[in-house]
Amino acid sequence: MNIILLFSLITAAVSCCFALVRQFQMLQQNSYFPSRYFSWVKDGYSVELCIECIAFCLSSLLMSRKLYIAQLIFLIAVLAVRVFLCVRTQKKSIKKLVFTGRIKRFFGAAVILFLLFICIYAFMPKNVTGEIFACLTLMLAFVSPLTSLLCRFVTAPVDKAVTNWYINDAKRILKEHKDLIVIGITGSYGKTTTKFILKRILSEKYNVVATPHSFNTPMGVVRTIREDLQPQTRIFICEMGAKNIGDIKEICDIVHPKYGIITSVGAQHLETFKTVDNVFKTKFELADEVLKNGGEVFVNGDSAELISRIDKSLYNIYGTSDGFSFGAEDISYGRNGSEFTANFENTEIKLASKLLGLHSVIDIIGAAALSFKLGVTPESIRFAVSSLKPTEHRLELKPYINGSTLINDAYNANPEGCLEAVRVLSSFEGMKKVIVTPGLIELGAREYECNFALGVEAAKLCDIIILVGINRSKPLREGAESVGFNPDNLYTVSSFKEAMEIYSSFADGNTAVLLENDLPDNYLN
Amino acid sequence: MKTNIAVFFGCRSVEHEVSIISAVQAMRAINREKYDVTPVYVAKDGQMYTGVGLLEIENYRNLPELLKTAEPVVFLKKNGAVFMEYENQGLFLKKKDVKIDLAFPIVHGTNCEDGTIAGYFEFLGLPYIGCDIISAAVGMDKAVFKDVLKSAGLPVLDCVVFRSREYMTDKEKITDEITEKIGFPLIIKPVNLGSSVGITKVNTIEELDGAITLAASFADRILAEHAVSALREINCSVLGDADECIPSVCEEPFMHDKILSYEDKYLSNSKGGASKGMASLGRKIPADIPEEKAEEIKKLACDIFKAVGASGVVRIDFLLDTDTGKVYANEINTIPGSLAFYLWEPTGLKYTDMIDKLVETAFKRQRNRENLTFTIDTNILSGVSFGAKGAKGAKL
Repeated sequence: MNIILLFSLITAAVSCCFALVRQFQMLQQNSYFPSRYFSWVKDGYSVELCIECIAFCLSSLLMSRKLYIAQLIFLIAVLAVRVFLCVRTQKKSIKKLVFTGRIKRFFGAAVILFLLFICIYAFMPKNVTGEIFACLTLMLAFVSPLTSLLCRFVTAPVDKAVTNWYINDAKRILKEHKDLIVIGITGSYGKTTTKFILKRILSEKYNVVATPHSFNTPMGVVRTIREDLQPQTRIFICEMGAKNIGDIKEICDIVHPKYGIITSVGAQHLETFKTVDNVFKTKFELADEVLKNGGEVFVNGDSAELISRIDKSLYNIYGTSDGFSFGAEDISYGRNGSEFTANFENTEIKLASKLLGLHSVIDIIGAAALSFKLGVTPESIRFAVSSLKPTEHRLELKPYINGSTLINDAYNANPEGCLEAVRVLSSFEGMKKVIVTPGLIELGAREYECNFALGVEAAKLCDIIILVGINRSKPLREGAESVGFNPDNLYTVSSFKEAMEIYSSFADGNTAVLLENDLPDNYLN
Repeated sequence: MKTNIAVFFGCRSVEHEVSIISAVQAMRAINREKYDVTPVYVAKDGQMYTGVGLLEIENYRNLPELLKTAEPVVFLKKNGAVFMEYENQGLFLKKKDVKIDLAFPIVHGTNCEDGTIAGYFEFLGLPYIGCDIISAAVGMDKAVFKDVLKSAGLPVLDCVVFRSREYMTDKEKITDEITEKIGFPLIIKPVNLGSSVGITKVNTIEELDGAITLAASFADRILAEHAVSALREINCSVLGDADECIPSVCEEPFMHDKILSYEDKYLSNSKGGASKGMASLGRKIPADIPEEKAEEIKKLACDIFKAVGASGVVRIDFLLDTDTGKVYANEINTIPGSLAFYLWEPTGLKYTDMIDKLVETAFKRQRNRENLTFTIDTNILSGVSFGAKGAKGAKL
């Protein structure tokens, strides 16, 4: 046994642990999927990987030439570099490595692997096997993406067992809650908003727990059950997300929902689903489960991809079109928000909310319909809906300069949403309607077309248009001019500051301004 | 998995013993299928104890012995939940903290029922049954209670309120004011005590000084009000919250003395079964009054409940002037003796079910709070540079 070489191997192993911090971080952020992790290695780590391979070759070369001291010095230098890089990347990254149980097991596996290899080397010094394992140790120490994946595979059975234990524990907790009503919510879009609205309305009558943020994977659901469910909880609202066929069923098998809401079916995650039919099938795994449990399913009748595929007699249909058993009528928008009448199986409820836009009305109707079914009184529904808070910068209604009204839609960057925002503004009857926008960006080939369409729509529905960014906003200007918009009411400025100066010169209590897609200043020229 | 209810009772109050009786009754009535019960006895020195021995009224005959078997505890907030921690830990094993889901205060009188204990729970962030700080405080202070009702247009007897120091330094002035505004016979009360302690009926001016001196030993604000001579006392309980509340039947307690004294209320039956408390007091349920009078009182009771902003179960005591037929609100007990369950059973609501309703109301209030905004998420200090490092951009 060569003591210096032994030290070298230990140094290499320690340095590898520092390199693994970055690897595990990326593995974690790719949900531990080897394929997604590999594509990160390919796109974001290829140069580093090459350097690691070269360093491995160099180190092996030094070892084979018996230049042990030089090798040790080289490895100490590697250790220093890796410690430095590890500290720097962790400081700089937005989403740092979270030391979960699984990550700790990964590190454990790495340590055990290194110990094993080094011990084999140490106790078989005269043997070729020793040499091979010394070399293997170096390879593991240097080629860090390989090591991290090895750790993941070695610990996989343990992780599986731990996951199963958590799932069974969650099932046990649910079983102990005899009176608990579980509600599942899924859909291509609108599910998180619907969940928050539903939670607010139901909490008028019940103790409600919902999966927080957009926790919608089986483990997210399990975690909510184990950490947030209280003995007094009567209703558990469970958001269910899907990227593959069977995902929703997997969650249903844990929670067994008695009620379900399906907010929409659309072309989302098509890279894994391939067809909208598959999206539909997956979302309706929830409906199958709920009907099996003798419960009721609420589906959004305004979602065209959804309504065209179902047997309407099986479900409660909600939405804003005519003829639904849970409908919304007389929708209007004004400076106080939206107003509409809910018609729930012939009970009329007048509702008012600070939330704007047709999609919000649909989300509210879906949540209110189920709440109504669960015995929340019309008065309580009305109060809860009136107290809903808009998401920041998403059609958010606010008082503004000189008593005017601001619709802040600054975080909206999708073309459909922008057109809807303009339509919301146009329904502020009797008010002077102003739009301030730099247009849409990063839409590739469709960018010109979308901005032109937005210009046309704004010209038709608004009184004054203020465009921000002289060059950027050209397509918008052309769109507005193409339908003969009065050039005196069209302003083009180079910054938001200027736009606001112009706006405040005419804003009064009877003006409504839509701030659409507020961009950082580096885009504006 | 059951909701763990911590029942708080005892406390540093003149009605310490009454509270024990009410609490033991309630703990027996709580539905053990749905809830776990953790008794929390607050000794007169403020030390809190728990233990199964606290569930039996017989054990309280020998309090020092009982406390030897009980465990001193403290309450802490950890990871967003409230836990009861044992003060005395074993040598090697730590006794497990007990998670508390809901507090159920059954305490009477000052230093607890007056909003103090509600404030303790608010500060811990523990949901609790009954009135919040402000309604409990209004209920305890008879003078403020009258003011709140007056401004809500509800009937109360006029009164004169003064501080004992004011009286002691200028007896003549206060005496004149009382004689002039109220007239005899009148009643002298300390403003902040329940259960008739320190209350005296005064027929002549000679008796006034003694009555005030007695009241002054209990509180430093004193109230004088007209004594209705043809008086019947009618009580009514209300259950719910300001959104939704219902009245119980009315009762008429029998008065052995000129007014209902502390002995009447709690000690008159002490030989037979001390554990019965308020429920055993000589009383007529429902009160023998005309139906429309009872309805008037029930409606008034709900109006008062809402005006005070009460929650849970309360008992409101009315004075009925039999000469004029007028009804006056006399006082509100925000945590009534025996929780007034004996007024609810005649309506068909069992004590066990009444406690269910109290639990639901408590969680409802908690939910309503969670729907309000209490903190602003952004830290205004984060963008501020403090003086020493240079004052650029400090905008506070």
